[in-house]
Amino acid sequence: MIDYLQFVLAPQMVTGLSLGVAVILVALGLTIIFGLLDVINMSHGEFYAVGAYLALALGAAGLNFWLLLVLVPLLMLPIGFLVEKGLIQRVFNSPDRHTTTLLLTFGLGLVIEETLAVIFGPNTQRPPTPIRGAVEVFGVMLPNYRMFLIGFGLSVVAAVALVIYRTRLGAMVRAAAFDRHMAASLGVPVGFVFAGAFAFGIALAGLAGVLLAPVYSVFPTMGRDFILLAFTVVIVGGMGSIAGAVVAGLVLTQIQAISSLFISPVWSDPIVFGILVVMLVVRPQGLFGRLGRG
Amino acid sequence: MFTISGLHTHYGLSHIIQGVDIEARPGEVVGIFGRNGVGKTTILKTVAGWVRPTSGDITLDGVSLAGLSPDRVAHRGVGFVPEDRRIFPGLTVEENIQLGLLQRRGRSRAEERVAVDGVFARFPRLAERRRQLGTTLSGGEQQMLAMARAMVGAPTLLLVDEPTEGLAPMIVEQIFAIIREAKAAGTIVLLVEQNVHGALAVADRYYAIERGRVILSGDTRDEAGRAELLGAIAV
Repeated sequence: MIDYLQFVLAPQMVTGLSLGVAVILVALGLTIIFGLLDVINMSHGEFYAVGAYLALALGAAGLNFWLLLVLVPLLMLPIGFLVEKGLIQRVFNSPDRHTTTLLLTFGLGLVIEETLAVIFGPNTQRPPTPIRGAVEVFGVMLPNYRMFLIGFGLSVVAAVALVIYRTRLGAMVRAAAFDRHMAASLGVPVGFVFAGAFAFGIALAGLAGVLLAPVYSVFPTMGRDFILLAFTVVIVGGMGSIAGAVVAGLVLTQIQAISSLFISPVWSDPIVFGILVVMLVVRPQGLFGRLGRG
Repeated sequence: MFTISGLHTHYGLSHIIQGVDIEARPGEVVGIFGRNGVGKTTILKTVAGWVRPTSGDITLDGVSLAGLSPDRVAHRGVGFVPEDRRIFPGLTVEENIQLGLLQRRGRSRAEERVAVDGVFARFPRLAERRRQLGTTLSGGEQQMLAMARAMVGAPTLLLVDEPTEGLAPMIVEQIFAIIREAKAAGTIVLLVEQNVHGALAVADRYYAIERGRVILSGDTRDEAGRAELLGAIAV
């Protein structure tokens, strides 16, 4: 029994946790964008891929991983800002905004995906793991890089939550998410807040790309695969809810990891997406409330 | 000095405001009266930038506000207390008030703290509940919060839409007292109110609106004019 815990269950849970933290980072950006702009960003996964490719390219040019952790999100900020101002805002006030923005971002995702394939080629690439080796804790071997990923990712999530819920900037974001007209009439620069939040969400996706590139490899369609899980996390957690993204991200990835010990791993995705379907029927608002709604 | 001249506003094909002219001086409370649906709220929303005017101009101290976004209107010294208060759920009383500080840019943190402390001194009930979510307050307290939030930025022009609707008489008195204080501080107040008798007690001048046009205007001290106003807007 102890052997099973040490050599099977615990490592599997750590793998699930590291995936969970990465999914939360992507889902966090997705849920902030939805909570604030009411836009389902179908290109979010491709921005995650852009982050991974930037890390790959800049790493190959000689920049070290620790610098990339800061530099890539910073490079993603203006990209996100320009996409929001140049594309999203142009259709934001159209009567069928939800459909238009959904299709627009879907199209943008395809453009990004194909562009990555043209520039970097269709083959899978993998940057070197920045931290090698493993540490033994209570007889359980824990890979160092995955432990770093979990710690760093959770720190970023905590920092984002602190900014959103404990600062005036966060109060501006929450106010604009709930009532953009009233927030604007108090002097909140709503247009800038929207573009800034979109850019921040994109930067978080890029950061997840940098963190996961050494673990899951880099290929042009990597965003498409990953975003399905992130969307599931956002919907189950409650669209627009930061707490929901964290809880659902951790729970769903643990379900995925642990279930694959007992049944064939090919069933882990149907189980997770099945939870999504059941949630949409039973509690369509998800586990938690939306950003700006308490 | 605040002026609205030749204002026209449409909602789609509906011509709601049809050439309205209004003016107000510093320290003046101007009542805007009329039956439901005649365009009173639309006038305030157009001034606040929530609705774009089709034509005409709106100026505050010589600067045009017409067509500006709501945040730019706010930065030019316009505070807005909308009809349904629009308190942000998920934000505490203090956070709601602090957002009002954004209206007046360029103040130091110390000056902002003084402004917030001043508001809490004026509204002790809000001070007691500063950590409470704004939407958990009673209706009267939420109205106080909406007023405090609009006034913490020391606006030059305060737009107040139906502030006493559904409130107990004691709270109504407090609301009118706050409006008197704003007037004493030199703020221009544009007040839309169904409680005409109460509003006439605080207003200096009035405009009666009918189908998007000014049909009557005058000084509230003119007894004959007041009687004519009450007749004109009676249902």
